[in-house]
Amino acid sequence: MTKFVRQLQFLLFLLPILVIYSLFTIFPLVKAFFLSFTNFNGYSKVFDFVGMKNYVRIFADDAIISAISYTLFFTFAKALLVTVLAIPLAMILDQKFFTRNLHRAIFFFPSIPSGLLLAYIWGFILAPMGSGVFNTILKGLFNIGPQPWLADPLLAKLSTIVVATWAITGWHAVLYLAFLQSIPKDYYEAASIDGANRLQQIRFITLPLLAPAMTISIMLLITGGLKVFEIPFALTKGGPGFETYSITQVIMLRGISETQYGLASAMSVVFFLIVLAIAVFQVTVMQRREQSMQ
Amino acid sequence: MTKSNKRLWILDVLMLPAGIIAFFPFYLIIINTFKTMQDAAKKPLSLPSKWIFTNYVQVFEETSILRSFGNSLTITIFAVLLIVLIGAMGAYPVVFNMGRFSRFATIYLLAGFMIPFQATLIPLFQLMSDLHLIDKLYGLIILYMSGSVFVFFLMSGYMKTIPRELSEAAVIDGCSVWGIFWRIILPLLKPITITSVIFQTMWIWNDFLAPMLFLNSSSKSTLVLEIYKAKGEFTVNWPMFMTLTVITLVPIFLFFIFMQKHIVKGIAAGAVKG
Repeated sequence: MTKFVRQLQFLLFLLPILVIYSLFTIFPLVKAFFLSFTNFNGYSKVFDFVGMKNYVRIFADDAIISAISYTLFFTFAKALLVTVLAIPLAMILDQKFFTRNLHRAIFFFPSIPSGLLLAYIWGFILAPMGSGVFNTILKGLFNIGPQPWLADPLLAKLSTIVVATWAITGWHAVLYLAFLQSIPKDYYEAASIDGANRLQQIRFITLPLLAPAMTISIMLLITGGLKVFEIPFALTKGGPGFETYSITQVIMLRGISETQYGLASAMSVVFFLIVLAIAVFQVTVMQRREQSMQ
Repeated sequence: MTKSNKRLWILDVLMLPAGIIAFFPFYLIIINTFKTMQDAAKKPLSLPSKWIFTNYVQVFEETSILRSFGNSLTITIFAVLLIVLIGAMGAYPVVFNMGRFSRFATIYLLAGFMIPFQATLIPLFQLMSDLHLIDKLYGLIILYMSGSVFVFFLMSGYMKTIPRELSEAAVIDGCSVWGIFWRIILPLLKPITITSVIFQTMWIWNDFLAPMLFLNSSSKSTLVLEIYKAKGEFTVNWPMFMTLTVITLVPIFLFFIFMQKHIVKGIAAGAVKG
């Protein structure tokens, strides 16, 4: 009897999280899956099952295709850039130089404010006119005429990636720093006694021991990158054309603005599957790499 | 000067330009808040030809930044408190009473861990309007409570390090299930609670997508939403817009200064656990 009451009390502790999670995460996902096979428009109670039609339409929709390709490009380019920059930055910030703490703070701070705010600040720097800050600098230093940083398809894509990289590199450097500091100092002492130079030490001690950090960092970069919305939205509004449309933005456009719930739901399901597939693939591959390196 | 000292001094010199470039965007917006529109447009890079402070006065007079600040504060405080409480509560039976049902609950919660908010956006929008939660601050707070799943995993990972004997001894002393949680478990969770609070605070304070979708009336704007709306209003008046941005950065900066140690520890803890 008392055991039963205790179990019931324990159950009460789980109840809030299960209710919230079921209602706001699982139920909408299941419903998105269901709606993706219908022509529901958000208002009328009557709607039909249209089979795979919405899924077929995804691949005929220029904005959606553009959003998928931009989001994937953004995700991988940013993940690559941040990783290449954050690891050396972490190694430098691990040294005891005088302005170390100041530099840690400077690089880390951009990861604290909202991405929307940061993108607006950069919008001023990348303004296309001759008076734009970056164009003024280019004119002064190299006498190059004004460039349309946010209006040219390729430049706009690269600009969003640069801003996102600037914002998050310091955060990932701190993550690597935490792992660097857990490497025992005797490894390096032993290696230098054996005659290994600094580069060899990095190659054979530091990088292999950072492998688990890379798995986590890249996983966060990829899942975060696929969910990108604010930075391109605030910098370019998704333009020029659909060139910097993120998947999130196209789901909102087709779903909420145009009330094509069926199509947008199909897009959501595809998005979920992309996130799942890439994340599972990446973690599996990188964990295997960790084992082979140790 | 010893050899190692010299090398470190070189690092200072080498890192200086990198630091300046990283900080440059912030320098730029700060100096331009003290300029007139013409001055900012003509010479965006240089210091103001004449320092003016009217932009700051104007922002407080012409925008509802203080009300938005209050809205953001209300939403963040209530949502974060509820998220952390619900997450910790859920982890408690799963770690200390591993029955069949709690095992099922863990798997059920884990299954949805990868689901991005965006993938559920369309039905969520419908659900929120069916429940009459659109354009209500508490509607957004309820929506954010789904963040408790992340806290649940942080908490249950940490709780496993608490010896079971503690709760078993309390049971013998006649402590109730709720009493054990409140008086013994919760105080021991302090470090992971701080980590959870920081991550959830940053997410909710900075969020733009949910407020944009679920808050319509301007009296309910969050700070980030206020910035978004102001961008449309002050398209030509950059100094004014930047002043608004700088003012909204002040609380974030203070948060950063006071929490820096905990944020860094939190990233390390989350990463090593993850």
